[in-house]
Amino acid sequence: MSEKDQASLSDHAAKQSQEGTTHFGYQQVAVEDKVRKVADVFHSVAGKYDLMNDLMSGGIHRLWKRYTINRSSVRRGHKVLDIAGGTGDLTLKFSQLVGPTGKVVLADINDSMLNVGRDKLTNRGAVGNIEYVQANAEYLPFPDNTFDVITIAFGLRNVTDKDKALASMARVLKPGGRLLVLEFSKTTNPLMSKAYDTYSFTLLPLMGQLVAGDAESYRYLAESIRMHPDQETLKGMMENAGLVRVEYENLTSGIVALHTGIKP
Amino acid sequence: MDKQLLDLLVCPVTKAPLEWHADRQELFCYASNLAYPVRDGIPVMLESEARSLTEDERAKRPKQR
Repeated sequence: MSEKDQASLSDHAAKQSQEGTTHFGYQQVAVEDKVRKVADVFHSVAGKYDLMNDLMSGGIHRLWKRYTINRSSVRRGHKVLDIAGGTGDLTLKFSQLVGPTGKVVLADINDSMLNVGRDKLTNRGAVGNIEYVQANAEYLPFPDNTFDVITIAFGLRNVTDKDKALASMARVLKPGGRLLVLEFSKTTNPLMSKAYDTYSFTLLPLMGQLVAGDAESYRYLAESIRMHPDQETLKGMMENAGLVRVEYENLTSGIVALHTGIKP
Repeated sequence: MDKQLLDLLVCPVTKAPLEWHADRQELFCYASNLAYPVRDGIPVMLESEARSLTEDERAKRPKQR
């Protein structure tokens, strides 16, 4: 790791632990309040979550998720954990890939999101190899060395203690198992950044207001994306959690990055 | 409560195995003395949502095998 990475990492750690506070978007809030505030956001948007994702990303989130699935190397018989799986986009596809001898666990800290996800997957006939668990990514309720693949798509950003969550994921991965983190990241194209900022802070809350009746939650979304660690910082955090061969790929000019790491 | 799911779960605090109590729709952990609710078929594995086991419940802890 370079000195710059080290500095960036410790800077990030300092931000996290500032007098027991953490960031909620651009606000500094008590650590215990963040969990509740994030929960409020997702209780509010759960019913319109899929529709909003399609509108906000122009449908591209489906391509990002499909790419994540392609990179996961999930096979028949695998045990997969989809953390912050929300309304179940990844779980649905994994359920088909692992087949009747495999297992997919859809975990989310938010019961509104889990209920919407379960209803959707049940309606689409995905039953038999999917389990639903309400859980906190920082304290995963599974034995060590359980899963072949773990994904967290657009979820890590909302976790209060990301280092603890990554360590927890590494613990429940089998040796040789793979963690995939799909998350908003830092754009690599300056022109794109400008347009993206305008879009995020003006259009996004407006769409949130019009479609989900909730501008605040979508303002939080835009802010939380800017506060999330950049590509190199997150890579360092995954290495600190004990993962090896950590790599990332920028998707759509780094609006989103897919990080992968292996448990040795 | 699905047996396959039960086999997959441990207490998020102690990582100890859980015991299913169908009458209460709860999962007991005798290491942390916490009972986790199962709501609408979904286990709620959050310490903040768990209740402490009563003296009586703790006393009924199964003998170590």
